[in-house]
This record gives sequence, C-alpha cells and structure tokens, in this order.
Amino acid sequence: MHPFSFTKAANTRDALDAGRHGGRYIAGGTTLVDLMRETVERPETLVDISDLPLRDVTVAERGGLRIGALVTMSEAAAHPKVRSLYPVISQALELSASAQLRNMATIGGNIMQRTRCTYFRDVTADCNKREPGSGCAALKGFNRTHAILGTSDACVATHPSDAAVAFAALEARVHLLGPDGERQVPFADFLLRPGNTPNREQALRRGELITGLEVPALPRPLKSGYLKVRDRQSYEFALTSAAVALHVRGGVIREAKVAAGGVGTVPWKLPAVERHLVGQRPSDALWAAAAERARDGARPLRHNRFKVELLKRTVERQLRVVGGSK
Amino acid sequence: MSPQPQAAVGAPLSRVDGRLKVTGKARYAAEFDVDGAVHAVIVDASIGRGRITSLDTRDAEKHPGVLRVISHRNAPKLPYRDNSGSNNLPGRRLRVFQDDRVLFHGQPVAVVVATTLEAAQHGASLVKVEYDAEQPSTDLHEGKPDKPTNYARGDADAGLASSAVRLDLRYRLARNHHNPMEPHATIARWDGNKVTVWDKTQWVMGTRDEIAAVFDLPADAVRVINPFVGGGFGSGLRCWPHTIVAAVAARETKRPVKLVLSRRQMYFGTGFRPTYEYRLRLGSDRRGRLTAATHDIDAETSSYETFTEGVMAPGQMLYSMPHVSQTYRTVPLDVNTPIWMRGPGFASASFVIESAMDELAHKLGVDPIELRRRNEPSEDEAKNLPFSTRRLRECYTVGAREFGWDRRNPRPRSTRDGDWLVGLGMAAGVYDPGRFPAQARARLHADGTAVVEAAATDMGPGTYTSQTQVAADALGLTMRTVTFRLGDSLYPQTGPHGGSSTMASVGSAVVDACNKVRQQAIRLAVEDEESPLHGVPADDVVVRNGRLHVRGTPARGETYRSLLARHSRSHLEARGNYAGPPTPERNSYNAYNATFAEVAVDATLGLVRVRRMLGVYDAGRIISPKLAESQAIGGIVGGIGTALLEHTVTDHRDGRIVNANLADYLVPVNADVPQVRAIYLDGEDNAGNSLGVKGLGEVVQVGVAAAIGNAVFNATGRRVRELPITAEALL
Repeated sequence: MHPFSFTKAANTRDALDAGRHGGRYIAGGTTLVDLMRETVERPETLVDISDLPLRDVTVAERGGLRIGALVTMSEAAAHPKVRSLYPVISQALELSASAQLRNMATIGGNIMQRTRCTYFRDVTADCNKREPGSGCAALKGFNRTHAILGTSDACVATHPSDAAVAFAALEARVHLLGPDGERQVPFADFLLRPGNTPNREQALRRGELITGLEVPALPRPLKSGYLKVRDRQSYEFALTSAAVALHVRGGVIREAKVAAGGVGTVPWKLPAVERHLVGQRPSDALWAAAAERARDGARPLRHNRFKVELLKRTVERQLRVVGGSK
Repeated sequence: MSPQPQAAVGAPLSRVDGRLKVTGKARYAAEFDVDGAVHAVIVDASIGRGRITSLDTRDAEKHPGVLRVISHRNAPKLPYRDNSGSNNLPGRRLRVFQDDRVLFHGQPVAVVVATTLEAAQHGASLVKVEYDAEQPSTDLHEGKPDKPTNYARGDADAGLASSAVRLDLRYRLARNHHNPMEPHATIARWDGNKVTVWDKTQWVMGTRDEIAAVFDLPADAVRVINPFVGGGFGSGLRCWPHTIVAAVAARETKRPVKLVLSRRQMYFGTGFRPTYEYRLRLGSDRRGRLTAATHDIDAETSSYETFTEGVMAPGQMLYSMPHVSQTYRTVPLDVNTPIWMRGPGFASASFVIESAMDELAHKLGVDPIELRRRNEPSEDEAKNLPFSTRRLRECYTVGAREFGWDRRNPRPRSTRDGDWLVGLGMAAGVYDPGRFPAQARARLHADGTAVVEAAATDMGPGTYTSQTQVAADALGLTMRTVTFRLGDSLYPQTGPHGGSSTMASVGSAVVDACNKVRQQAIRLAVEDEESPLHGVPADDVVVRNGRLHVRGTPARGETYRSLLARHSRSHLEARGNYAGPPTPERNSYNAYNATFAEVAVDATLGLVRVRRMLGVYDAGRIISPKLAESQAIGGIVGGIGTALLEHTVTDHRDGRIVNANLADYLVPVNADVPQVRAIYLDGEDNAGNSLGVKGLGEVVQVGVAAAIGNAVFNATGRRVRELPITAEALL
C-alpha cells in the first residue's frame, strides 16, 4: 500500500473542499482499500465521508425512491419500501458479495465499484484501465469472465455491480453534488463505456460527490426481479445476470425494463428486448423471442463465447420468472 | 500385558483444542511475539522465464523503516547441502537469491526487510527489476515429457483388441491449489549459529533438516516450532523457499524476521495439485468383466524438480483385470514445483477410472454398483498380496441402502424438478495410507497427570484430540489429565503429517510410550510390599481413571498418585517407537470408500448444484468418530471444489497465474455444500498396525469428483471429461 493521508469530513462542505483538492472519497472502503492493498489504487488523500447525512431512503413523488449514497447495501436491501416497490433492487443487492461486505459497502460506492478483471488487479500485467496505453492483457488472455458487449480494443472488462444492473434497468438517476452545485445524471450516462479511455469510468467532474440515487416511479402493478448466474452459489460475481421489471395491464405488457449484468463493460440496458415486449401478451414464446435480442451486438472473446447463449437464456428465464409461464 | 479398558478411544469427543481455537488463543506461526521482530516482504518475478538484468533498490532503501533489501546481488552464498530427506524431490531445488535466473513467474527475486509491515510492503513495490525475458513453457499440452514410468501386466493392447466392449477416453484435470485459510508464514530468529523458526509446516522435522542443509548447520542448531496449522491439505509438506528467505533475512539483518506470504503469493510460493492429461482405454466382455486397460498419464512438474504421486496405483489394484499397461510421464514446465494435495494422485486417477466405469456401466446397461461388484479383485493383482482388509462390497451395500440408490433411474435426463434435471451418481475410492517411523515420549507426573510429546502436526484433522485419546486409554487416565504436545522439533521425531499416516504412525509410538509408562507403574506396584497390588501378576493389573487395580477386582488397587508419592518419584517416563510397516509387506493395505452424489443441473442455464452427498468408508478402526466425520465432510467439500469450481489458471503467454486470489479461484462456500453424511464401517485392520486404523484424511476426497460427474451424466446425459465441470460444458 502506498502512503496516503486520511481526513474525515465533518460536513458536505468539508468533503467537497477536500474533493476539489484531489481527495478521494471513501465510505465503506470495500473496493478502494482492497485495491490500495494491491497498489492498483494509489490515492494521496482519502476523505472519509461516512459522517455525511446521506443515509436516508425516501419515497419520492408518485412512488419513486431516493436512496442516499451512504445507505449500506444491507440497509437498502432490507428497506421495506425497496422490498415492496422494487424487489429487483433488493434481490440484486442480496445476491451481491457477502453479508459482511454488504454491511460495510454503500450504494454510492457500489456503483463506483471497479472491475474484477484479474489483469486490472495485477499491477504487473498490462492494463489500459490502470495504466493508459500499456495494452489490454485480457483481450488475448484468459477472458472467461469478461465482457461481450460494449467492449473496445482497449478494454473488455465488465462492470461488476449487481445493483447497478437493477438501477440501469429502472433508469435511475444519479444525484451529484459538486463545487458548481447539484446536478442529476441518467444512469445510462453515468457509467462510461471504455472506448479509447477505459481509465475514465464515470461521468464525474473533479470533486463531485454522489449524494444518492433516484429510482423513478413506474406504473403499478409492477413485477420485478433479479437473476444471477454464477459458478458458485454465493459470493461470486455474475457470469450473467438479468434485471427485469414488467407492468402488465389488461393482459398486455405496458412497460418493460430489462438490463443484463456480467456481460457488458457497463450494466447493459436491453432496449431491443424491451421494445419487443411492450404491447405484447405474455407468453413463453414471447420471452424466447424477446430474449433473442439480448445478444444483439455481442462480440465474444476466446474463453467467453458461452456467455452469448447464456445471456439469452438468462434473460429468457428471468422474463418468465417475473412475467409468468404461459 | 493386560488389555486396557477402552474409554476415550471410539468416543465422539470434541476437539481438545477447540476452545483455544474459537477464543483466538491458539497461536499460529505468524502470531508468535518474538521480541524485536521486523517484517519481510518478498518481491516476485514478473516474468515467466529469463534473467534479471537490473535490480534497482535505491528507492526502496530510502523509504523510512526499510532496513535492507536482499537479492542475488548481495545475498550470502548458501551451502545448500544435499538433502534427500525433507520431502525434497529429485532434481535441483530452487536456491533463493543465488543467481540471476528466473525459473517461473512469481519466483522470489528480492526481499525487503523493514521495521513495519507497511514499510516492507511499500518498499517491495519500490524495487525496480528489469529482465531479459524468454518465452516460458507452461502449457502441459505443449511441453516435452520426461522419460516415462511404466507398469504392465499381461498384454494390454492385445487384451483390448480382443475385448467385446471398448472405451477410449481422454480426460483433462485442472490444476488445484490447497488454499488453506492460514497463509504460509515464517518467523526466524538467530542466536549465534543457532536458529529458531516458527513456521507453518506439516513436518517440523523435515523443515528443520532442510534449514540445516541449506545453511550447512548441524540438525540440533535448528529448532522448528509449529503448534497449530490453519489448514494445510498438503501445502505444508515441504520447506518452501520463503522459509529460507526469512532465515536469510534474519541472519543478514541480525534481527528476528517475520515473513507472511500474501494470498497471491500462495499460488506460486507453495505447490499445487498438478494438471493432468489422462487417456484411458478400457475393455470388457459383454457382461462387464474387465479385460484390459491402458493408462497414458501426463502431469506437469517444474523445470528444476520432478514431482510424482500415486496416480498409477488405482489403475493397478482397484479392479480385477488380467491386462494393464500404464505410462506416467511428467512434463517439465516453467512453473514452480507441485506438491501433494489431499488424496494425492488417487483423487486424480479415481476421477478418470470411476467416470469411465460409469460410462461402461451405461454402455452395457448394467447398474454401476453391480459393474463394480463384478470386477472386485480377490487380491491385489499388482503386488500379488492379499488385502489386509477390503470391505468395498459392504461400502456399496450400505451406501446404496442409505442413499436410496434404488430410486435412481438409469436413463439419463429422466428426473426433473422444475427447471432442474436431477441425477444420482456414485464412485469407489481407494487410498494407500502412509506409515512412517515415529517416536513419542510419555511422562506421568506425581500428581497423576501425564504429558505426551511427539514432533507431529495437527493441520486440522484433530491430532491433538485423537492422540490424547489413545494416550489416555493406554495410560488409564481421563482425557482431562492427559496433555498431548506436538509441533516442536525438540520432541521425539516423526514423519510428515500427510498421506493419512499420523494415527497409524505417531499413534503407535504414543501407545508404545504410554504402555511402557503404565507397565513401569504396574511393576513398581506389584513389587512393592506396601502396595495393595503387591504380588499380583503384572499382567492382571489394569489402570482406569488413574487408578491401578486387579482386573475384575476394582476394589484392590491404588492410584498413580499414591504410588509415585510413596516412592518419591516425581515422574515416570518412557519413549515409544513405531518402526514403520514390515518389509517386505505381507498385505496390501488400503482404505476404501463408496461415495454417492445427488446433483441438480439447471436444464437451460447449465449450473450444477450438489444436493446430497454420502460417503461410506472402510477406514479401519475409528479413534475419534466426531473428528472422523468432520474429516469426511472436509474431504467431500474439497471434492465438490475439484469437481465443479477449482481451477488455477495460467496465462501461457508469460506464465502468470491469472486467478491468484480467493475471489477468482473458487472454492465451495456454505451454499455449495448441501447435506453431507459420512458412515464409517465398524471394524479394524489389525494387519496394518497395532491400533487397527487405516487413516482416513486422504481417502475421503478420493472418488468425490467422479461421483458428482457421474450424477451430472445421470441428470443430463452429458459426459464431461474435464475438471472442473462448469456451465459452458452443459449449455
């Protein structure tokens, strides 16, 4: 671990001030400290923001939810409103990490998680994300767990968060506070695809702080759920995953929100699948046909070819689980 | 000598060291408070093969707290005396910091010693190493094999050619790492020309002898201490380079040095279960009587040492057949040297053989258990020796009954539970337990308590407990009044703690020592006119709860305490000995199992989930049933890992281990471990040793992967011949 200084922000103003001078925000620390131990992250200054008043879950107008950035994963998963309004969020959180980690890690930190690409985490390997211009060892290396969507020649690493897949599906908005004031960014614009700059992962400006996530209201009744496919039954990142939310009225799907995880360089929203569903009547045939579209544009690598088929089947399964077998 | 009543042996006792462990008082190698200890962190080679061309330590040396950076440029020349013991393997062992060669990715190239761990870690990251890199060869498939080891009986090729039914199957088994919870760690302290080493090892004597050989010291100048081991599974069976690095660093800095491997370093700083490529051709008649088999076995080893293990044995003696030929080739690669891992060799071979038997059963339409029964040998056909005991048939019978084997539909893909396809599978397992010469010392104190010592190890199976049990019964004491000590090279010497050898070997020596002490006490009593036992034939005296009495007449006797007090003896003491198995051997001595698995496979997602497992064991006499059950559970969990999850991945471009951490190298977690049940057949094997035990720590993992693979076939109709079995093979 490289030497660093550590300060604790007493209030938001202090935090922003430290952030503006290059301080890195730390809350639960479950990703950052880990990466500092591996010397992947070498911040000079850490700013502990865990005392800031960002710990509330509130119901917004018309049934939307606002989750404070410092709400822990376990608090968010257990929150009655999250459970009742958006089971997909609860499930994604509960299928993440371990109980110990969920007790420490925060929602804001969760979407800031860095990739699990093993070459990224090994400082002796080439990695454009860690060291721009050094190359991508994963592209021709062992890439079973890597992305098939949203990749570039510079980077094929997946975004590891499960909760972010649910937030992407639900079209959440990220609330930010920076030196220039507050702003909101749609989730789809917040996490960046690698392109030629895989080291840039979020649309954050210098010193900006995530204050919370807002999940917009959706028409009710809404059924939703999250499926995570992985080798081991617990405590593993997804090979593939699917977040699905459906609003069915009068026997017809009126709203469909679908995203996939484990396959994209960012949580992968599936608008083509959604379009295929809206206006149709639920049926097993519809689930299968819609899920076909999940793999649009997939570019598999040497060891993750199976993910193309697995993604389709994962989405199909979860459409059926949420929408019912007919 | 009158047989002692059995009170502790066979009782389902909890670990005697359990309280120490759960309260954090059990002290592991890295946890000893050694005055003035400083910290060492190894710098690992970041190429897979080549030469170090420059090593810039200036920034590291300038970092506050850093005391010294040691590399081949400034390390002392080390004698590295020949040492064919200590589980050193044929070849030339890795010599730390003796030259500029890099033999594998991760090889230690320097060590940074600092006053704090943080300074040492940061210092290590500041050492700049440049290399002249060569292309390493790390792919078993591409390597050039050594001269093979062969075995043959009959004429296997001809036998196969004339077989009515033939299978020709190729298997690939992934490299596995032991991944014990406790990382390997060493603290070394020199006092003049003597060195004390606290080290995570499964063999304090072996590590002592290796350190003595490396530094050219007399054996008694080295003391190795290791009272607790946080899991081993074989990773501690050798003295690894980091232990020597710690000793070098301590000598050079004239300070005690603590060195703990990181989890990442565990993947190249210690050994592993090697990758195998295994081609098996199997022939039988139409009724399933085996006629012939050929085994072509390739396994990885390092470029500097040749590692072999018992992978040929099951193919020679598990089933009866006239024609067998085997070729076992090690392939030297630019990797570090493998080491034995739970069920070594046997677990790998059994996956192949037992998967093939399941294929044969399916092809013939014969029940897999019935097929095995039809090929049960009446003697060991390789050694031409009778079996000491072999109760595999009973394992099948009990296992089939307890598991509900009759509910298995032999037609694959015939049982469904929602999205899941359900299947049942089984496999046989065998392991040839080790027996090594061992000694022990027993001392009975005047207060009626006893201490028994041996330089043994307890990596988790419960050596402390089981040795206390046999000692307590042999001394006629209660468990609470006997203390067993291990993990110190000053104690009487034993062999390595591996190969299921400890109970038979150390246990026999412990019993011998305790019998001698008891007999000393009995003699003292029967020859003493003041003793109520005066004149009683020594053979008629037994001891129970610390009281000597006439067998059948409990009223006539006295306690150890009164006897020793009257004789003003502070203690009675004796050394016990176990000489090892008879040579030549008169029996084929093996432990056996039948392992059963029920799995569910998601029909569309390809995920395999184990639902139930049962192991039925013929392991001789069970000294400590509760711990034996724990062992079986552990072995089955290990087998689930090998079958479905564990796979050390090497990037062949530069020899790097890609998944050198516990997030990417998957071991089973609780959710992967379903209902697991173990049944040990009652009985004993008196041909093997006086305790009647066979050893069970290894055999419990043998066959588990095959049982799971066979269940996957029964569930899905897919035969996967590559481990681990992952979703992509089943989509």
